[in-house]
Amino acid sequence: MAKQIQQRANLLQGTLDMLILRTLLYGPAHGHQIGKHIQRSTNDFLQMQHGSLYPALHRVERRGWVTSKWEMAPDRNREFKYYRLTEKGRKQLTVEESQWKLMAEAVARVMWPTAEES
Amino acid sequence: MHWWQIKKRDADLKRELDSDLELEEEEQRENGLPLEEARYAARRAFGNKTLIREQTHEAWGWAAFERLSQDIRYALRQLRRSPGFTAVAVMTLALGIGATTAIFTLVYDVMLRPLPFTKANQLVTVEERVLEWSNIYPTLPVSANHFTFWQRHSRSFDSMALMQEFPVPLGTNDRPQQVSVVWATPGIFSVLQVQPWMGRAFTVSEAQDGSEHVAILMYDLWSKQFSGDPGILGKTIRLNGSPYTVVGVMPPWFHMPSLQGSETIGEANRSRPLGVLAPLAFSKERLAEEMGDLNYFGLARLKPGISITAATADLDALQHTIGANLPADEKATLSVALTSFQDTLVGNNRKPLVILLAAAVGLLLVGCVNVTNLLLARAVGRKQQLAVAAALGASRAEMVRMALREIAVLATAGSGLGIVLAASMVPAMQRYLPSALDFRGPLHLDWMGAGCALLLAVIASLLAGAAPALMISRTAPLEVLHSESRLAGESRGNRRVRRTLVGIEVAVSVALVLMTGLLTASLVKLMTVDRGFTTERTITATVELPMQSYHDDQRRAAFYKAVLERMQRLPGVEHAAFASALPLEGDGWGDMARVEGDNRPSTQLPLESFRWVSTDYFSTIHLELIAGQTFSQDDWGKNLALVSEKTAKALWPGKNPIGLQFSWGNPATEKPFTVIGIVRDARTVSLAKLDPMLIYVPYWYRTEPTAGLMVRTRQEPSEMADPIRKTIWSVDSNVPVPEVRALAGVITDSVANERFEMYLLLLFAASALFLAGLGVYGVVTYSVVQRNREIGLRMALGARRATVYRLVLRDGLLPVAVGAVGGMVLAFGSARLVSSLLFQVSPYDPALNAGAICVLLAVGTVACVLPARRAASVDPMQALRTE
Repeated sequence: MAKQIQQRANLLQGTLDMLILRTLLYGPAHGHQIGKHIQRSTNDFLQMQHGSLYPALHRVERRGWVTSKWEMAPDRNREFKYYRLTEKGRKQLTVEESQWKLMAEAVARVMWPTAEES
Repeated sequence: MHWWQIKKRDADLKRELDSDLELEEEEQRENGLPLEEARYAARRAFGNKTLIREQTHEAWGWAAFERLSQDIRYALRQLRRSPGFTAVAVMTLALGIGATTAIFTLVYDVMLRPLPFTKANQLVTVEERVLEWSNIYPTLPVSANHFTFWQRHSRSFDSMALMQEFPVPLGTNDRPQQVSVVWATPGIFSVLQVQPWMGRAFTVSEAQDGSEHVAILMYDLWSKQFSGDPGILGKTIRLNGSPYTVVGVMPPWFHMPSLQGSETIGEANRSRPLGVLAPLAFSKERLAEEMGDLNYFGLARLKPGISITAATADLDALQHTIGANLPADEKATLSVALTSFQDTLVGNNRKPLVILLAAAVGLLLVGCVNVTNLLLARAVGRKQQLAVAAALGASRAEMVRMALREIAVLATAGSGLGIVLAASMVPAMQRYLPSALDFRGPLHLDWMGAGCALLLAVIASLLAGAAPALMISRTAPLEVLHSESRLAGESRGNRRVRRTLVGIEVAVSVALVLMTGLLTASLVKLMTVDRGFTTERTITATVELPMQSYHDDQRRAAFYKAVLERMQRLPGVEHAAFASALPLEGDGWGDMARVEGDNRPSTQLPLESFRWVSTDYFSTIHLELIAGQTFSQDDWGKNLALVSEKTAKALWPGKNPIGLQFSWGNPATEKPFTVIGIVRDARTVSLAKLDPMLIYVPYWYRTEPTAGLMVRTRQEPSEMADPIRKTIWSVDSNVPVPEVRALAGVITDSVANERFEMYLLLLFAASALFLAGLGVYGVVTYSVVQRNREIGLRMALGARRATVYRLVLRDGLLPVAVGAVGGMVLAFGSARLVSSLLFQVSPYDPALNAGAICVLLAVGTVACVLPARRAASVDPMQALRTE
């Protein structure tokens, strides 16, 4: 548990934004779905903390990367606040993705140099 | 983002969180948990909803705003709980901020606001200095002769002009209206960098003697007197009986400060607004006079980059050349004095204003200290609460914020109220403006003043909030929570701070009280000083003879004689007399009397002040004759004179001057004067000092178109105003009589500003005293309450009431005594600034100094006795049982 908290704390702010955008690539979703999706995709490695999820959602919305709307859920008779990726958000996602890739590769090169040389 | 949007968004967020929480709950139930447990599990998984909301708010970017509104709400709630404290604190701050703002507005208007001219900082006034006459006239107006020389040779000036201002009748109808005219050389337009709004400026050729009959109207005169006639240009108006062609109208925003009376603040403001600008032309004879025509107001614009010092050096060199070329009988050492135009207009009003501002700031300081004291006491009372907050993890910054928010709200309210106070005070100060600067329209509180008030509020919060904030931020929760709850008294350090604050308050109050005492004593002395003349049952009037019908001495003297004869026949009139000026309203003209046998050059002769008077002048105002006799109507036409004591001693040392002769002006053309009497030295020019050397000449020898009439009556003088006007008009109905008032009123008016100053200071000092008393009372009461148990114990052990009294008084009066000493030091430090404003009172006057300290001690004692009584009436059993 202690280890997990440590890792969660290290989850960079920008990374969470990226994960949210990536999740929305599958289609509109509400806060709960987004949180659960990230949590499940990482096999519960990244436990979503609501204290960072909602600020992040509102942040990306303010930047215009997503829009939000209260809509009826298809499977039940209730309204949820659905977030939807915008064109700007799509572009941002590619930018962040390639940046993340560069970063990951760079880190990998330092960490496992032999693999690179062979 | 507006607050209503914020509210909507927050509701939206709440709905979102609620719905997601519900989903979480459902999920937990699907996992097989019972309803109740599922809800708790969901809540646990979700976390603190309020915290999430706050964190999300930060993402919206208005957390700071939210925190502020929270702080304000909190502070208001706190303050509402103690309305007494709030009211006292707000009123204290409002008084201090209001007074300081009002005085600052006045100071700003007088000393700092730029004059309404282009690059006004380049404008300087030019005066001449004549070393030989500097004992009486430190500076003199400019001579046309010297001015012409400067214009030709100086290199420091962009342009220069000479001016003169005096009223003349405008128009030709029966009662011509008096308008003020500035007669100026054509350079005035480039000096002030202003051009007529309509028409043109006058040219150099139009400013030559003989062709100077053109006039430029001021906008106000044009729009009122000539109903804004668009075809005014080219029309002829009559000034002083002569025709003048209107060539221009000045812009509406152009206003000219009065050139007269810039040096005296006390003078009742009687100058009319400027109506006409006309060329000042010099006759050949005028221009040839090398030392005789020092009469004009010099104004010049410095070249950019030239300092006043450099320009002075430039003109001094030219003055030296002029001085070297003077004929032997007029030898004089000449130089100039340049002053920035603004400083000239401010004149000697600077010091009183600075003192008033310092007093207002002192009052504000006392107020701040008082509020600090109150806040400290409150902070001590809330120690427990604060300690709990600190123990629960409030950061030091948050604690300081907690301490400052109350004072910030108080100061905001105080400054708001202070602005209202200042706004109502400022218009009343218009009359305090030196008349020379009173040309920019009504004085009112502007943005500069409001800004000053807000700045003061910020400073006051920091000042008053600093000590409590420091104390709070140092709160060690463990210590406080461990200490025996309500028994915990005020810490030693804290008590020392509070006593120091009381000391500061007392020091400032002592200085203020002393200052007020000094000025009051000075004013009393000034009003009761032996003036050498009396004012009882005496009424005065001023007359202004129109030039066209009274252009020579004979006609004027005939008019004055006729008026006096009729006046004497009025029932109830004892004496009536005309003189060149009313007492305290002018000195006369300066000239050099030459005693027979004295062959020095005229510039080396002592300078006297000459005054023309009618025969009854001395008996009317009871100006005492020491020897000889006065003029009588039988002497009509004879060149006789009376001299003052000073003159007699200076001109005829060791001799009796009666029967001796002197001459003045050109001895070839002017007949000598015979001295027939000696008049006591009085204070007819200024109450503050004895008159200079005076020589009285009879009105048949010389008169001026403006004169002061004095009438001593047997009855109530106020009933005489109408008969006096009617009598003057019965001789000539065209003579304006602008003012009729009692001589006592003239005297009172001459110290109007000193009195105004004194009243303001009195107000400040009384407020400061009250606040200081309140401060002492607060501190002592607080410590008495804190030591309730100790006192109870002492009494239980046999201490008597007197001992308790002594205990409390010593505790309370110690800071007062220390503060009083500090106040003396403060007062002595500023003695030099004050002493020049005092009349026959030394700033070190022992009685007044002791009095100021006694007043403070008395206030301090009263403030201590009330809590001491409370302490002495403590029931020992009660006190010991309460804990």
